[in-house]
Amino acid sequence: MASTPHVRGRGAAADSGFSTNPPESAAGPPPAGAPAHRPRRGRRPRAPYVLLIPAIAVLVAALGYPLLRQAVMSFQEFGLAQQFGADPEWVGFDNYATLLTDSYLWSVVAKSIAFCLIVAATTMVVGTALASLMMAVSTGPRLILQITLLLAWAMPHLASLTVWQWLFDSQYGVINWLLTRLGLEQFSGHSWLINPLSFFIVAGIVVVWMSVPFVAFAVYAGLTQVPDELREAAGLDGASGWQRFRLITVPLIRPVLLIVGLLQIIWDLKVFTQIFVLQDAGGITRETNLIGTYIYRLGIGEGQFGMAAAAAWFMLLLTVTLSLYYVRILLREENT
Amino acid sequence: MRTTRVLGAGLAAVALVLAACGSDDGNGDDDANAEAPAASADDDGGDGDDDGNGDAPEPAEIRLWLNGPDTPDSMRDWLVDAFEEQNPGSTLVIEEQQWEGLMDRLTTSLGSTSETPDVVEVGNTQAPTFTTVGAFSDITDLLPELGGDDLLEGFVEAGSAEGRTYAVPLYAGSAYVFYRTDLFDASGLDVPTTMEEFVDAAITLKEDNADVANFSGFWLPGQDWRDGAAFLWDAGGDFAVEENGEWVGALSTPESQAGLELVQRLFEEASGAPRDGNEAEPEVPFCADEIGMMLRPGWVRWSIDNEEIGCPDMMENVGVFALPGSDGQPAPVLLGGSNIAVSANSQNQELATNLVRLILSDDFQRQYPENGLTPAKVSLADGLGDDEFAQATIEAVSNAKLTPAAAAWASVEGSRILEDLFVAIANGGDIEQLASDADAAISAQLN
Amino acid sequence: MTATPAITSARKSPARPGTPKPARASGSLWRRGRRRLLGALAVGIALIWAFPIYWMVNSSFLPHNRIRSTEPTFLPIDGSVAAYQRVLDSGFFSALRTSLTITLITLVAALLFAFLAALALSRFRFRGRTSFIVTVLVIQMIPAEALFISQFKMLEGWQLLNSVLGLSLLYVATVVPFTIWMLRGFVAGVPRELEEAALVDGCSRTQAFFRVTLPLLAPGLVASGVYAFLQAWNEFTLALVIMNRPDSMTLPLWLRTFTDANRVSDWAGIMAGSALIAIPVIIFFLLVQRRMAAGLVSGAVKG
Repeated sequence: MASTPHVRGRGAAADSGFSTNPPESAAGPPPAGAPAHRPRRGRRPRAPYVLLIPAIAVLVAALGYPLLRQAVMSFQEFGLAQQFGADPEWVGFDNYATLLTDSYLWSVVAKSIAFCLIVAATTMVVGTALASLMMAVSTGPRLILQITLLLAWAMPHLASLTVWQWLFDSQYGVINWLLTRLGLEQFSGHSWLINPLSFFIVAGIVVVWMSVPFVAFAVYAGLTQVPDELREAAGLDGASGWQRFRLITVPLIRPVLLIVGLLQIIWDLKVFTQIFVLQDAGGITRETNLIGTYIYRLGIGEGQFGMAAAAAWFMLLLTVTLSLYYVRILLREENT
Repeated sequence: MRTTRVLGAGLAAVALVLAACGSDDGNGDDDANAEAPAASADDDGGDGDDDGNGDAPEPAEIRLWLNGPDTPDSMRDWLVDAFEEQNPGSTLVIEEQQWEGLMDRLTTSLGSTSETPDVVEVGNTQAPTFTTVGAFSDITDLLPELGGDDLLEGFVEAGSAEGRTYAVPLYAGSAYVFYRTDLFDASGLDVPTTMEEFVDAAITLKEDNADVANFSGFWLPGQDWRDGAAFLWDAGGDFAVEENGEWVGALSTPESQAGLELVQRLFEEASGAPRDGNEAEPEVPFCADEIGMMLRPGWVRWSIDNEEIGCPDMMENVGVFALPGSDGQPAPVLLGGSNIAVSANSQNQELATNLVRLILSDDFQRQYPENGLTPAKVSLADGLGDDEFAQATIEAVSNAKLTPAAAAWASVEGSRILEDLFVAIANGGDIEQLASDADAAISAQLN
Repeated sequence: MTATPAITSARKSPARPGTPKPARASGSLWRRGRRRLLGALAVGIALIWAFPIYWMVNSSFLPHNRIRSTEPTFLPIDGSVAAYQRVLDSGFFSALRTSLTITLITLVAALLFAFLAALALSRFRFRGRTSFIVTVLVIQMIPAEALFISQFKMLEGWQLLNSVLGLSLLYVATVVPFTIWMLRGFVAGVPRELEEAALVDGCSRTQAFFRVTLPLLAPGLVASGVYAFLQAWNEFTLALVIMNRPDSMTLPLWLRTFTDANRVSDWAGIMAGSALIAIPVIIFFLLVQRRMAAGLVSGAVKG
């Protein structure tokens, strides 16, 4: 079933990378609107559905009922009492109203969006740069870099967040110790968390450090699919490294870049653990809340699950809005 | 064992489970559940056959959740032996929980009939969250037998709702002052007997040791409202009070203002702790010679006296006293501790209450003071001993106070209003303004 | 310029992965020097990235009172392995077994299910295709933080609490959407001509799949495999509520047993435990990383 033969209309250039994404600018005229192949309708119509069954089954089994329940709960007064058997009371849009009329929420949302965009962009740039670097170096350095990144990714959050906290500790932190040693006396006992901007920079560093490995690995996997010939040919044409990267490589790995970038936006928008842990270590909670911690403190922490459910749907809406542009590109390419 | 079997079945098993999903049919997966509770589930059916042996409940495995290391291994062993002896055939399994993440686990597990623990420990500020929602069994009738008026009053209150009691005290603890005798001698100080003397001593120590970086005459990290509370209460203030059946923030009252001003003075003139730090790991600055006095729970003594953790050499210079109040009596310090309760979903209610009885028995409770904690029963407190640590503990507890008894107090702590308030005070903020903001936030959380 | 690599033979042996490609005609000294320079840069970046990791390992050898102190200890010269002995004796292997089982189930199921779905999406046009793609995308955006309440209830109904299968099911669902997206591109990237050529050469369909298709998918499988592995390996919240018995602890839960929010956490133990937890991940990666090395595709497609 894997390879029902189909007649293909186009040459291999577009397909040696990602078929959905012909390298328009570099590899000649794009195969006008032609997908890799367009199986004739009606032929073995059942096959794709059969192939999708396991994935759909797992998603429905694990998420179907919980999502349904979350949707229902968002219209209910659902707290611990209901969790232990009391009948939930329908409150209509009350949970949403409470949430949305809180002026503090909107300042948190603004901060979250700014944090998310900056951190996601930084992660993508650094991750893609490291992936390209892996392509350019020999096996030894590549493995060293990959294993280091993998370790950063694999390090349990409990350990990595503790270590970062230690490094930035105001009285016993290595960073202040080093800066003081370098003669910057003002860093003796300096608190990196008390100033909100400084707090978010530290949080951003930690998040980037943890997320770059995923981006680097995914993009690297994508890059391995780019035929060397394309880049070499461009090199012979006198294109600079950057031009080659931008004109040939990027279009070919666009699908990976898009999905990975989207995931970064999704994850960085609801960043929770890093902020939560840093707030415990220092800083002022009210000035450093992002959506993730705010909603947690609002609902889940105290067992107000109805409110938490409403907040979850609000966040979904926010994420969709924020990534709409992205999703449209993804879908457009999907349907060419 | 079950893991290997599952692994062997591999994907087939996954498919199998998925197929079984729709029908809610779990028979085929019995082995995927732990074997042990099978017995308890069966008991529920109550097949009366065994009623011949009197009123004894059918034997089962009882799961007890204890948090952190406050109940030491020796006490756990004692409890298991005693329980299994009193309830032949039954077993007691103690599963240690971490305070972090406990709420998530309790809110889910207590709701399950098959996987609930039978008896759980909860923090005294967490107790009201569960008593009002029906998560715990009503043990009001058991109260006289468990100790009645002898039980720590505030903890019984925390475990009660609408006149019924669902959770009883397990143990309590409060902080007293650790101080450096050598530094006191060097500055010519005596142990303070009033709040005023205490504040003077703290400031003098800081001045006399100004050459030591980050030195604290009195160590008070910015977020530490739990220890700062003593100064607020000593001045006659409070975090929140009940007015006409409604809880409101009370930090703007003149008494509270005076207390908070003293806190600010301590932050500015006596403390060298981070202005936004928390109170974890006090042994680090203490062993680094950076602390003259600190208000800490009794177990900190064991941290200091531990070769790996602290600095045992320093112990000869460590003295303790209960924080004195303005009137010369012990100041009201925060009383922390735990409650114990039976899960309403437990299938072994009788065995579970037997266990609670045993936990509150004099024989068991007497072991808490031996380990430096205040027992659930007032009458057993003298078991703490008579060295200076015991004296400080007894004195500190004698006037200790609980956080406001509002049912929603946990959400004030959850939203970290008080941490923010104290950090702002530590950084020289305007107390009147900060207090009125905090009052508004507290009132909003409590109602 | 047009680059249209012609496909000559599917069975032309791919350049050995992991080894440097044969020097090109233009492989001048300058080129090699540049490569060295970049290599040094890569190692330098690795060192910066590694500092927190180093600090974890360093701390795992130190006694508690030297981990946070006024003078940081940079080299654990007089350190000890006591923390490792301590954590190894506290149920590490039982948690390791549980975590390995869950992770392997998640890995295999997620890759297989996602591969099949990716095949459907990239090889067929069918009604509902776009809706499925959009759904998969949106699923990843759903904040899962509050879902654990309902997921717990659901697994309770199926008697799958404290069971590796129950937890694995939830994990597969969290990693399958991304894996589908990732593999889709790779499946589409396998030139059908290759498979066809293989068939012409007399391979059976299965042989064609294993000899031609699978190697080309390898980088995608490895990248999503590492992702799936780590998601299942390090997940905490769901494991915390689903696995509430000590004998069904996963590694992240086991690691938490060394913390103590009120008193003194066993930091050396936590760091030692974390280092131990990372080891299987590295082993897994070393086993599969060759599959992801560059040059595979170009080797196969090269004219």
